[in-house]
Amino acid sequence: VPRVKRGVTKHARHKKILKAAKGYQASSGRNYKWAKEALMHAWSHAYRHRRQRKGDFRRLWIIRIGAACRQHDTNYSQFMHGLTAAGIEIDRKMLADMAVRDPAAFERLVALAKTD
Amino acid sequence: MASKLSHSIGTHTRLWYLIDARHQVVGRLASMVALLLQGKNKPIYHPSVDTGDHVVVINTGHAVLTGSKWDKKLYRHHTGYPGGLKEIVAKQLHQKNPTMILRRAINGMLPKNLQRKHRMRRLHLYPDSAHSHALNITHQLPGPCPVFKTLSDYSSEEITSFPDIVTRISHL
Repeated sequence: VPRVKRGVTKHARHKKILKAAKGYQASSGRNYKWAKEALMHAWSHAYRHRRQRKGDFRRLWIIRIGAACRQHDTNYSQFMHGLTAAGIEIDRKMLADMAVRDPAAFERLVALAKTD
Repeated sequence: MASKLSHSIGTHTRLWYLIDARHQVVGRLASMVALLLQGKNKPIYHPSVDTGDHVVVINTGHAVLTGSKWDKKLYRHHTGYPGGLKEIVAKQLHQKNPTMILRRAINGMLPKNLQRKHRMRRLHLYPDSAHSHALNITHQLPGPCPVFKTLSDYSSEEITSFPDIVTRISHL
């Protein structure tokens, strides 16, 4: 096998990593070894948090829906029970959005949930 | 039609709430105030933004602790030196500073993060009914505990016209 010098390929691999670590503090944004370390943590966090994001948002929506319900004399649990009893399947994301942007419609939903 | 037309000036500003702590149980009042300071009563709540409001609590000197807590509840801290555990009973702490009990209760009920200090700065406690925020107050809220009428709150006609239950039962 002819003699191979590793500079070009190594440089290409390192450049890829350093580009992904742009904006990182101190050596992690400049030094290949530190950047690789920081990126491994970053990718692991991102993997985990992409799954947690779904639960995080649902929790936020529930807090917001609960706050909006309490402005209308009910609470989150009674409201959701009333919605399922009335056959309304609007999801929490839309309910939270309506609570902020379309409170008149949200009030109609609260009234629907309160009827038997 | 989703729009921001329903938003008013009050949607995104910090409101000022006034609460009278007379005859209110400390813990129940503190949990209500903590929710207001966090802004968790607002549909625009977000944990990364401080959506809380200002809360002015007056008459903290007349707040209530149930049971024998005035004599038995201990507030402890350690000075860092050996043998430096300081304990003070609720009654003595209240005499020293009538706002401390409620302040410690609310402080303990807020989430322990960097926003806690800012939220506590928006809490204004006064031992009596005098406070300096009259121009800022937007709403007055009732406390969480119902305030009962004492005998002196009833007029003499109501007392005399109250149905006589005792003598009717005693003949049985």
